[in-house]
Amino acid sequence: MNAALNWSMSGVRPLLILGSVLLALWPMLMTSAYEMRIFTIVGIYALLALGYQFIFGHSGALALTQGTFFGVGAYVTGVLGVKYQLGGEFTVLLSIALPLALAALIAAPVLRLESHYFALATLGVGQVVVLVVVAWQELTGGANGLSGIPGLTLFGFEVKKGYGTMAAVWACVAAGAFLSWRVTRGLYGAALHISRENPIAALSVGIDTAKLRYAMFLFSAMFAGLAGALYAHTLRVVSPEALEFPIMVACLTITVVGGRTHIAGAILGALLIVNLPEWFRAMEKYYLIAYGLALLAMIIAAPYGLIGLLEQWRAKLWPETPRTLPKAEPLRNSRAVERGSGPLLEIRDVHKRFGGLKALNGITLTVAQGEIFGLIGPNGSGKTTLLNVITGIHRADSGGVSLDGVGIHAKPSFAIAQSGIARTFQNINLVDEMSVLDNVAVARYGFENAGLAQTVAAGWNDPAWQRARAQAIHLLDALGVAGIAQSAAGSLAYGLKRKVEIARALALEPKLLLLDEPAAGLNESEQLDLAQRLRAFAKGGLAILVIEHNMPFLMPLAERMACLDHGDLIAVGAPADIRANPLVVEAYLGSPEKTSA
Amino acid sequence: MLLQILANALALGASYALLALGFVLILNATSAVNFTHGDMVMASGYVAIALFSVLPVPGALLLPLVMAVMAVLGVVFSWLAYFPLKNRPPVSVFISTIALGIVFQNSANAIYGAEPRKGPPLLSEGFFEVAGITIGKQALGIVIVAIVLIAAQHILLNRTGIGRSLRATAQDRQMAEAIGIRVNRMIALTFALGAALAGAAGLMLSNTFFVTPTDGTNYIIKAYIAVTIGGWGSLTGAVCGALIIALFEVLFPSLPLLIPSLEFIAPWLFTQTASTILLYLGLLAIMFFRPQGLFGETVQRRV
Amino acid sequence: MNVLNTRRNDYLGMLVAAVLATYPLAASAQTAELNLPILVPITGFLSLEGTSQRNGALLAIKNASPSVKITSEVTDTGASPEGATTALERALSRGKVSAVVASMLGTQMLAMLPVALENKVPLATVSGTADITEKNNPYVFRFFPGDAVAKGAHVRYVLEELKKKRVALVYQTTAYGQSGRRHIVELLKKAGVEPVMEEALDVSIKDMSPVIGKVQVANPDVIMLHLHGGPSALFIKQAAAAKVNLPIVAGSGLSQPSTVALVEPAELKNVCAEANASPVAGGTPEMDKFLAQYRAEYKTEPDGFAVGQYDATSMIIDAAAKGAKTPEDIRKALSSGSYKGIAMTYKSDGKGNMANSAVVICYDGASRTPKIVKRYD
Repeated sequence: MNAALNWSMSGVRPLLILGSVLLALWPMLMTSAYEMRIFTIVGIYALLALGYQFIFGHSGALALTQGTFFGVGAYVTGVLGVKYQLGGEFTVLLSIALPLALAALIAAPVLRLESHYFALATLGVGQVVVLVVVAWQELTGGANGLSGIPGLTLFGFEVKKGYGTMAAVWACVAAGAFLSWRVTRGLYGAALHISRENPIAALSVGIDTAKLRYAMFLFSAMFAGLAGALYAHTLRVVSPEALEFPIMVACLTITVVGGRTHIAGAILGALLIVNLPEWFRAMEKYYLIAYGLALLAMIIAAPYGLIGLLEQWRAKLWPETPRTLPKAEPLRNSRAVERGSGPLLEIRDVHKRFGGLKALNGITLTVAQGEIFGLIGPNGSGKTTLLNVITGIHRADSGGVSLDGVGIHAKPSFAIAQSGIARTFQNINLVDEMSVLDNVAVARYGFENAGLAQTVAAGWNDPAWQRARAQAIHLLDALGVAGIAQSAAGSLAYGLKRKVEIARALALEPKLLLLDEPAAGLNESEQLDLAQRLRAFAKGGLAILVIEHNMPFLMPLAERMACLDHGDLIAVGAPADIRANPLVVEAYLGSPEKTSA
Repeated sequence: MLLQILANALALGASYALLALGFVLILNATSAVNFTHGDMVMASGYVAIALFSVLPVPGALLLPLVMAVMAVLGVVFSWLAYFPLKNRPPVSVFISTIALGIVFQNSANAIYGAEPRKGPPLLSEGFFEVAGITIGKQALGIVIVAIVLIAAQHILLNRTGIGRSLRATAQDRQMAEAIGIRVNRMIALTFALGAALAGAAGLMLSNTFFVTPTDGTNYIIKAYIAVTIGGWGSLTGAVCGALIIALFEVLFPSLPLLIPSLEFIAPWLFTQTASTILLYLGLLAIMFFRPQGLFGETVQRRV
Repeated sequence: MNVLNTRRNDYLGMLVAAVLATYPLAASAQTAELNLPILVPITGFLSLEGTSQRNGALLAIKNASPSVKITSEVTDTGASPEGATTALERALSRGKVSAVVASMLGTQMLAMLPVALENKVPLATVSGTADITEKNNPYVFRFFPGDAVAKGAHVRYVLEELKKKRVALVYQTTAYGQSGRRHIVELLKKAGVEPVMEEALDVSIKDMSPVIGKVQVANPDVIMLHLHGGPSALFIKQAAAAKVNLPIVAGSGLSQPSTVALVEPAELKNVCAEANASPVAGGTPEMDKFLAQYRAEYKTEPDGFAVGQYDATSMIIDAAAKGAKTPEDIRKALSSGSYKGIAMTYKSDGKGNMANSAVVICYDGASRTPKIVKRYD
């Protein structure tokens, strides 16, 4: 009971609950077919926008296909309804299935494009579909479209026009909202969040961002298809306007104005966008000018949408008490510690070139289990590049990398993370607006079987997420930073962020931990503290590769070291030998005691 | 026949080139896709018509005036659509430019109505024949103006101090700010430049192809495609991409005229509708196999 | 007549009726009331035609006899069927509607038909295309020659007057274009003629050189155009530049004065167009009067849509003046009556097609004013 009360009081939920009640009561006050029609159209656009939030909001990809999927769904219903008189149970399913198939077809080539190409590619697909539909007159009625689409029937039961259709539409909206909430919450939701805010970080914790994006794209298509089918039944005609750009613009506007990742935002946005032209009607031909200006004002004043704005106000005017932290739980140690006989990490003759610049020139190194290995070299010598090659962010031009005897140089980045290599980054890659706790918890994604099916089927409080957070507390403890668990990651000092990143890396139960300048931003006592903890981890069997400029920190810590210079490996050996090595001294042009700036 | 087709394509491509160039300048400086750019071309057609009704001189004389008016409009536009949103995610600017596009289109419709209007010719309408090809005086004028403006833009950006500042701002805004460049001014100036180029394109297109309030959408899609084919961010690429699109639009449907046997093999392939579909499919293929286009930066695949 | 103030007119109407009721003479001078919403596209790509509809309807209301009290509100239907049905529902929710001046966009009409049927309110439009009268809906009345009549005139002129046999056909990929093309090809086939060349153009296509090239290669003796206004003008200009010396017979798109304004008179030599009427060509005293009044009121040239909608609205007002009170009365009057309008006499063919004649106008190459050369009834 207490939990439910807490839940309903958090964020803007009180307002949303009130809004939902009002929304449910409103139809009872409606007196004219006009009001019902407007409300039905609002529902259809809300459903469309809910679907769009999957790909645009949660995945952060500006797809311009939502209108196309909508139109395809409408046409499927139209063609099947008019030409074959099929009942709703078939047409609705097929109206969802065909856009889904189209999305699956175009997803592979299109989804991996960079954002502006992706937008144009989806636009291009949309244009082709319109041209084909208009030209294929025998099937679609051409530019005239098809009229006389029968009302919605389900298994022979005829849904009454007007009131019945409106109820059916809003039932779908409710179901869609429920599904959307399920899919985008908990551990899966956190994985979506990090994938869109910081894809590199997501990959580094073993999340297959491409697979997530693909799933979101398919969801958006399904919702759009359903919305299109309902549209065809409401309007009772289907014509190429259902495929054209204005619907895409309306969908995009609703999502941006309402709030890209808020379910309530889709509904609020639809209410506003569908009704605004009606409210401005008195202005005759000037009303669209007012509409455009109103849209501009909204996007300037409320960048995270109206719901986001409301949340900001809530946070300022009536701050919430922080929720209680979960109890710490040690890691489940899901990774069996199989030990091969050879070295843990083997880098063999790796070359990497960027255009005219040779970044890595035949690097060969090994790191043993439980070893702390230091990697030094002046700026630009290729240290971070080597890390990127190991973790799969860059592909080596030649040579190989293996972990426990298994070659990993051809694996995608997220798979390498899953097989046991975790890292931190020189310029921190945390998700600023997520809490420290959530930033670490999301790294447990791979261990909790948090797939799509699981997150939809799970109970009220996603248990996988609860476990992940409990284990995250434990990890934060291990780094001594459990106190800041509730703070937003973006608000922390550099040194603390660094520690959080290490905690996140440890969440992967790695065999090998790659640290890129971990001492930066820490004062001397913090450095000593960190060194102590790292030694403890290494004793437990974790191999650690540390890139550092800070010699007083690294020298006592590392068991072995290597030095890179301009892509060449110029020295490998014990720290003392490295320090004395003339090549190393020359490369640095200074005393090895110099601390980094 | 081939020569005539190439001549037609060149005239069309010259206008597209100015359009694409303005688009990519703004893109470079702000990383923002300006969806209103096509509507700016449309607006400048109406500006040309309005100025002509007050000052009935040949379009060539009106050209600097139209470009100046559009430059001012470009700056005002940047104040409304870009500067309030410059620290927000780029999609916000996409939306704000869509919003202003709606305003532009409907203002044009409210003031001038929806019927197509014809703008003033550069010198005169009419044609002359050279080596068996008919060249419109307007078409020739367009090509000349385009060459002059592209050359001027090149000189401005590459040989002048202010051009260097503009390029620096476009390449790395933080660095430019750090070395003392007034970044906001440079961005406003870029919008002015882009709008002025759109203005030139609009003036010339309004005579050859008329202007209606809904023209903008078509133009922005062409600009977007040109910049993608040429290479996102490359000025040379934008010009080349524009010429390629024009060539395709004119040449491809005309292929059966050059190679009569094609008419028997697959007449349906060379209809206007099919040609447009093929253009888009070709675009998708380019984005898939060579996303950096002809001259663009190597594209990092999304990780 | 007031066009926007519903409540004031209601009171006024009641007052007048009350006053008149006290006079025995009142019987013949009883005021009729008419609620006539005007739902047309004022924004979007058909706003030119929609504005013509609006202007024609408002002018008819202005000229209405004082015995009819008319309330009317103009609402934009935008460019999509959704906009039209919403506008219609809105108008219906705001009081008893007698009849509706409806958008001429085919897809919008098709969407409005079921709503009109459910609410038993007649729609009067000037849409020429789409099968709006083929849906067994007794509530639609079109005051513009349907494709069967218009394209009949178009084809007959080419075959009978010009006596041509090799037809090159260029049409638009819109509803207007596709529907017209279907009828043209059917009618040609009936006369045993097949086009030597056909091409469909999207409205956004501006450079017509490939099409013109294909037309020339097909060696026709006449070009039939069925394009919207702007593309018609572009085609004619570019064809003249390419020295295509063939007669061109275009569709109603070219008969709009705004289209003709885009071409030079010399380019119009040998060019004709089919239309429901051409107000600028004048011809009758009523037409000349309409032309003068329209020009004065709206400062622009009227096209066929304007005069068609004027006649449609006048017929409805006439029915009200003659005693039609309910929407059903008006529907009956429209479906059974006959009305002499400015452009032609209108009588329903049973399906709601009121306009059964079309004209062909031709340009002489010296001016932009055409002459009516043939009338087809």
